[in-house]
Amino acid sequence: MSPPPDKSNFVMTGLIVLFLALGVSFVFSPDRAPVRQDPELSKLVTPAPTTATLRITATQLKASGGDASILDCYACHDEKKPPTVKLGADGSIVFPKEHADLRLMMANCSACHVDKKLEVEYAKNGDVVMPKAHADLLAMGHGRNNRNTNCFNCHSQSKLDELVTRDGTKLTFAQAPLLCASCHGPTYRDWELGMHGRTNGYWDTSKGKAVRQDCNACHDPHGPAIPQIIPLAGPKPVLTHGLRSAATAAEGGGPKAEGGPPKAASQ
Amino acid sequence: MIANRPPESRDSISRRSFLRGSTAAAAGVAAMAAGLAPLRKLGEAISVDEFLQQHYKELKPEDMDKVLRRIEGEVERQYGVRPHVRDYKPMNGVEYVYALNLTRCVGCRKCVHACVAENNQSRDPAIQYIQVIKMPNGTFDMEKGDAHYAPESVPEKGFFYMPVQCHQCKNPPCTKVCPVKATWTEPDGITVIDYNWCIGCRYCEAACPYFARRFNFSEPTIPKDQINPEMSYLGNQPRHKGVMEKCHFCIQRTRVGRYPACLEVCPTGSRKFGNILDPNSEVAHILREKRVFVLKEEVGTLPRFFYYFDV
Repeated sequence: MSPPPDKSNFVMTGLIVLFLALGVSFVFSPDRAPVRQDPELSKLVTPAPTTATLRITATQLKASGGDASILDCYACHDEKKPPTVKLGADGSIVFPKEHADLRLMMANCSACHVDKKLEVEYAKNGDVVMPKAHADLLAMGHGRNNRNTNCFNCHSQSKLDELVTRDGTKLTFAQAPLLCASCHGPTYRDWELGMHGRTNGYWDTSKGKAVRQDCNACHDPHGPAIPQIIPLAGPKPVLTHGLRSAATAAEGGGPKAEGGPPKAASQ
Repeated sequence: MIANRPPESRDSISRRSFLRGSTAAAAGVAAMAAGLAPLRKLGEAISVDEFLQQHYKELKPEDMDKVLRRIEGEVERQYGVRPHVRDYKPMNGVEYVYALNLTRCVGCRKCVHACVAENNQSRDPAIQYIQVIKMPNGTFDMEKGDAHYAPESVPEKGFFYMPVQCHQCKNPPCTKVCPVKATWTEPDGITVIDYNWCIGCRYCEAACPYFARRFNFSEPTIPKDQINPEMSYLGNQPRHKGVMEKCHFCIQRTRVGRYPACLEVCPTGSRKFGNILDPNSEVAHILREKRVFVLKEEVGTLPRFFYYFDV
C-alpha cells in the first residue's frame, strides 16, 4: 500500500512556488531603493600624503613663537631642541618643506562672519557648493563618500562659531567632542574609556598627567579621515641566500614585490 | 781520578744547564707574551671593573652605584654627553600590558624610529626593535607578510599593518634557553637582559617565535648628537658588540610612570599601554571589551602584547 503521493506532491510544489514568488518579489520590490550612482563620487580627490600629524590653529602657532612647548610637536621633535616657527615679513607662517602639507585649523569664523543668517548654495545633485572664499582653507570631506558637507549639520546657521547637534543642543568649539558623539556614539564611548584616540604623557596618573587628545587633535572636522602618510624607512634589506638582493629591494621592491619570501624573518 | 773531579754540591747549577734553562724560560715567556698580545687591545674595549662585574641580581646597591657611575663615565668619554644612568626598579602592583589596534594602524613606521632614538639603538648596522609587517587582508599567514614595504604613502588598499616587537611573554622561551641566566622576566612583566652578563650565544634569538631579539654583530654606532642621555641599566644604556638586545617597554620611561616612546609618537592612537592590574586602565578596558588576540597563540608563550580590532 503506497502513501498518498498526490497530497504531499501538491503541498511541496505549492511551497516551492510560494518561496520562488517571495524571492522574486523581494528582488523586484519597489521599496528597495536603487543604489545611487553618482558620477561625482568617482571624482573625489584623495588628499595628498602628509608627514604632519599635527593640527593647530594659526593663532596658537603664531603665539608660540619659537617655543612650541604647548603644542604636540614632541612626538617627533626633540623636547630639548624645539622646532622654530619661521614667520614671513607679513607675519604669515613659513612652513618648512616637511610640513608643506600642514593645514591650519580654522576656529575663528566670527572674524569674517558677523551675526547674520547664512545660506548655502546647492548644486543640481544636491551637494553643497563650496564658497569660493573657503576653497583653499577648508577640506570638504566629512562622511563616507564626503556627503556630510552641509555647514549647518554642525554649525549654527546664525552664528558659525557655535555648534549645534541634531537635537538642537548648542555647544562651543571646546565642547566639540560632544558634537562628534551625537553621531559617532560607539567611537565616543571608546574614546571616553581610552580605547580610541591618543593618550600621551603618563600612564600612572599618580606620577604625572595623562593628556587625552580630543577628536580635533587628530581629525580635521571638515575632512576627518586620517590622511595618507609617507612611511618612514623600513629595515635595511639583508643580503641573504635565496632572498632578493639588497640592491633590488632598495630600488623599491615594496608594493611590487608580491608574495615574496618570508621577509618577516629577523634581520 | 774520580776523586779529582770537583765535588758536586746539591744546590750548584752547571753553566750549561743554567744557560739551557734560562733560554727555554725566556723563549717561553716571549711566546706567552706574543700569545696574550691581543688581550692588550681588550683593555680599550672593556675595563677591568666591567670585566669582573657580577650578575645584575648579585650586585649590592653600592656595587650598582659604582657600575652606574662607571657607565656614565664611559658614555661621556665615548659620546661627549653626560648621561643620567639609573637602575629603575619595578613598581609594586604593576604588570604591564600592551595593546595594539590593527584597525587603526596605518604602517607609517613612526614607532620604529621613535624607538631607535629613545633606546640608543645602533644606526649602522641598523638595529630596530619594532618590525612593521604589511599583511594582505584576510590572512595572518606570516609567510605572506612584507616588512620591507616602501610605497609612496600608506595605508595601501587591501593590506593591514602589524607591528611586531617583544611580546614580554609570561612563558618566555628565550629566558629558558639562556645558558648563563643573562635574561629573565621582572615582576612587572618586562623581560630584560643584563648586557654585561650576556655571552652572545644567540640561543634566545633562535628561541623567540616573534623574531624580537636583535644581536650586535659589530660595535654599534650612534651619532653623538643623537644620544638619549636618560638611560637605564636594563634598558637603553649603550650596548657593546656581541650582546643581545630587544624591546624592554622603554623601562626608563614606563617605570617612572610615562608611556613608551612608540606609543607617544603613534599618530593614529593605535598603541595602548598600561597596568593590567588596574581595572580602570585603558588596557583593562580593551581586554574586557574588544576583540583581542595574541600572535602565534598555539606556541603557548602567553604574551603580554595583544592585538585588537574596532568594529
